[in-house]
Amino acid sequence: MLTSKFKWMRLALVLLMGLLAFGPLAHTQPAQALEQPQVGMLCTTGPTFDLTAETGYIMMPDMTTMFMWSYGTPGGGFQHPGPVLCVNQGDTVTVTLTNSLTVPVSIMFPGQENVQANGAPAQPEFSGSTLVSLTNSAAANGGTVTYSFVANRPGTFIYESGTDTKMQVGMGLFGALIVRPNAGADHVYNRADSQFTAAEEYIAILSEIDPYQHQAAEMGVNFNMNNYRARYWMLNGRGFPDSIADNNASWLPGQPYGALALIHPYDAGAHPLPAVERFINVGTEDYPFHPHGQNGLVIGRDGYAVEGPGGQDLSMEKFAVNIGPGQTWDVLFKWYDAEGYNSATKPVPVAVPNLVNVAIGMFYGGSPYLGEMETLPPGMNTLNQCGEYYIISHNHALFQLDAWGSPMAGPITYLRVDPPLPNNCP
Amino acid sequence: MNKQFSRRDFLKLAGGAVVTVAGGSLLPQFLRKTLMPEQVVNAAGDYDLFFAGTDGFMWNPGPSMAPYHPDDWVEPPFTNYMFGFRNVTYFEDSVGGLTADEKVQNQKLKAQHNAPFFWLDQYDDTVNPVDFKLQVTNLGLQMRPDLTDPHTLHWHGFRNVIPFFDGEPTGSVAIPTGGLFTYVYRPRDPGTYMYHCHVEDIEHVQMGMTGIVFVRPLQNITNPSLYPSGKFAYNDSDGSTGYDREFPMFLSEVWVKARWNGLHIQEHVWADFKADFSLLNGRVYPDTLLPNSPIDVANSTKSLVIQSDPDTGDLVIPAEPRLQNQPHSALITCEAGERVLLRFANLGFREASMTLAGIKMKVVGRDATPMKGRDGTDTSYETDTLLMGAGESYDTIFTAPAFSGGSGSSGNGYDTYVLYNRRYTQVSNLSDGGSGGQRTEVRVYPTGGLGAQAHFNDAVNYFPL
Repeated sequence: MLTSKFKWMRLALVLLMGLLAFGPLAHTQPAQALEQPQVGMLCTTGPTFDLTAETGYIMMPDMTTMFMWSYGTPGGGFQHPGPVLCVNQGDTVTVTLTNSLTVPVSIMFPGQENVQANGAPAQPEFSGSTLVSLTNSAAANGGTVTYSFVANRPGTFIYESGTDTKMQVGMGLFGALIVRPNAGADHVYNRADSQFTAAEEYIAILSEIDPYQHQAAEMGVNFNMNNYRARYWMLNGRGFPDSIADNNASWLPGQPYGALALIHPYDAGAHPLPAVERFINVGTEDYPFHPHGQNGLVIGRDGYAVEGPGGQDLSMEKFAVNIGPGQTWDVLFKWYDAEGYNSATKPVPVAVPNLVNVAIGMFYGGSPYLGEMETLPPGMNTLNQCGEYYIISHNHALFQLDAWGSPMAGPITYLRVDPPLPNNCP
Repeated sequence: MNKQFSRRDFLKLAGGAVVTVAGGSLLPQFLRKTLMPEQVVNAAGDYDLFFAGTDGFMWNPGPSMAPYHPDDWVEPPFTNYMFGFRNVTYFEDSVGGLTADEKVQNQKLKAQHNAPFFWLDQYDDTVNPVDFKLQVTNLGLQMRPDLTDPHTLHWHGFRNVIPFFDGEPTGSVAIPTGGLFTYVYRPRDPGTYMYHCHVEDIEHVQMGMTGIVFVRPLQNITNPSLYPSGKFAYNDSDGSTGYDREFPMFLSEVWVKARWNGLHIQEHVWADFKADFSLLNGRVYPDTLLPNSPIDVANSTKSLVIQSDPDTGDLVIPAEPRLQNQPHSALITCEAGERVLLRFANLGFREASMTLAGIKMKVVGRDATPMKGRDGTDTSYETDTLLMGAGESYDTIFTAPAFSGGSGSSGNGYDTYVLYNRRYTQVSNLSDGGSGGQRTEVRVYPTGGLGAQAHFNDAVNYFPL
């Protein structure tokens, strides 16, 4: 009911800093930040990877911090979620895990076949007759284990701990594995109709946190799983508004992945291909993600193209992309300026109310029209820069937008639609 | 709620001046005359429908769950607080009585749940180049004058919408108390959608500002001969989505603690959400079987219009007065051999698993999309259980089985099939027995036993329960 005033102040901070990054001050950013795109999926390329399992803290949308376990890269500092591993179809992928936690840790690669651990087929671990790990683990306090497999199938996959899973995955030991098809890095699968605009590739890693579980881990005490109840839901390891901050935002050092999607309208000539969003659910419930204003075309699930035995297209358009625990969904999307409204030749067929007679959203530029802005009433400001559209996407199990008492702070992000090029956007 | 305060803080930080504009009503008096033009007078007839957002009361069954249910601040026969929309399109001035506008204002604290069902014909530049205009006003919240929440109407699933008409308040505008806004739609994709207020949406959705909207396909106009009724769910080109009767199955939920807190100005944590009651068309079983409130059939061309009191505009009081603000039946009746279209939409927060026992349903649409791949491959399928996530819609058609003969399995002249949420935790009405919540019946009559469906969601109910 009551929205924390701090949250909105924080949103302003996030956005102002984001705008600075977009604006002329961008050259003052560290060189590393400039090397990577501000939005879109950031790949850690392989096919040989060294991962660590380590502890750290992340910033929560209600201004608290949360103790986490996560995979990272040696010398890369703590990060959550684990790095997005990108390989090519047919690569022999090798992942060496070094475990700095005080409990054994492992990595499962659901969807991969013939996974080897230390050169032998990966196997579950037992203590007596009790299953203690779904796969070979690295011993506590410095143990290592090396997994390898051939990435035969293109698609989007999860990697996550197979040891004490409800604890360790809940603590944050998960990440994404992207296998690029032989058809090319701008295809999701080896189907011509899975091609996307290479600069418009996005990922949405959906997760959840029970703060009591994390507190117990931090204090080194036992946590009773019967009491598990998620109270935070996250998108790429961030809540809103952090979710729309840039990749590698300096004030989120352990949470490198943003979730803002930036696209241009569909155009048969200049911009014919869709964007892609790779959805991943590493939580314990279904997450029905709802993109406004554009349906997702589901073309793949769990690393399989949605097709029939003869290659028939069985893809489906969805306005609620309902991802189950452990599933991955590959979704193409675009935004089409269906009516082409503009102030000069095709105004909206209704009187536009005076801006003092409406409540103005913080992303609204004052004009209904793409690429146009209007002067706002005295005292009003907007975060809109060039008449671009901001179209929200969010989880529609709406209680999951609540960050343990701070509403509208969960898995929310935006589709930013810039006017067609050339435009005046910074 | 209280968005104004947070936005004000935000503006302060951003170096903005003192005034936040959430409608001119918050402007200082001395500025208002200068800055705030007169409200545009509503041009008569310049809309297809006119909805009003406000608060109100609804009824849910016992047992008591003190202090939350029934809420002791709610006057019987009602039990719980809610927000909602009212359809105020057809109000007229009364000679010597209230004007139409006064009747609209009189609907404050008279919301209904679920919100009105409404529908449009598919837009087409040549066959049907008709804009659909939906005007919405915000009457304010009678029981919470401390709240100045705006409202919007978000059409959930509308493709390629511009933010101006999306009703999402951060990327666009919202309607302050006393304001008016007209949404214009050119729906190019037939199917079943849903709508809700998107301001503080966790709260305003849970409080009940939710309903179904659907788009009729162009084929109804261009090629009606593909099925005897001339009515189709989609542009199927072969009549496969033709149907004889259609019913909405709208799923929503009530968390009684949140309703109580909303009325009593108390806080709670939405992350702890619990669905105490799960509703079909705004009611729990067995009320789902009771008829619609009296329908204004003549005006039910774009929405299902509930009759209102000609003097006050209030919803008429039905046979069960506790259901005055929950006017929609969820009963399904049909004749043997008929095709029946069920339009499912879930604006609860939980997955639902809707099972129709004894009759298979054919899934012909999902999220307002016909079941076809991009290459035309038919992806429709048959099932008796629909697993529906929050925010999903499904269109299913079943063919009514043969009538069993005699007086029917019910003893009342019809055969009975039960449609229910297989998540039994969602059909309990807070009590044991598993016979509440999202549950209703399909009643199959012999051929010729019913006559044609008179209007959307018309379920003839000849027999007492």
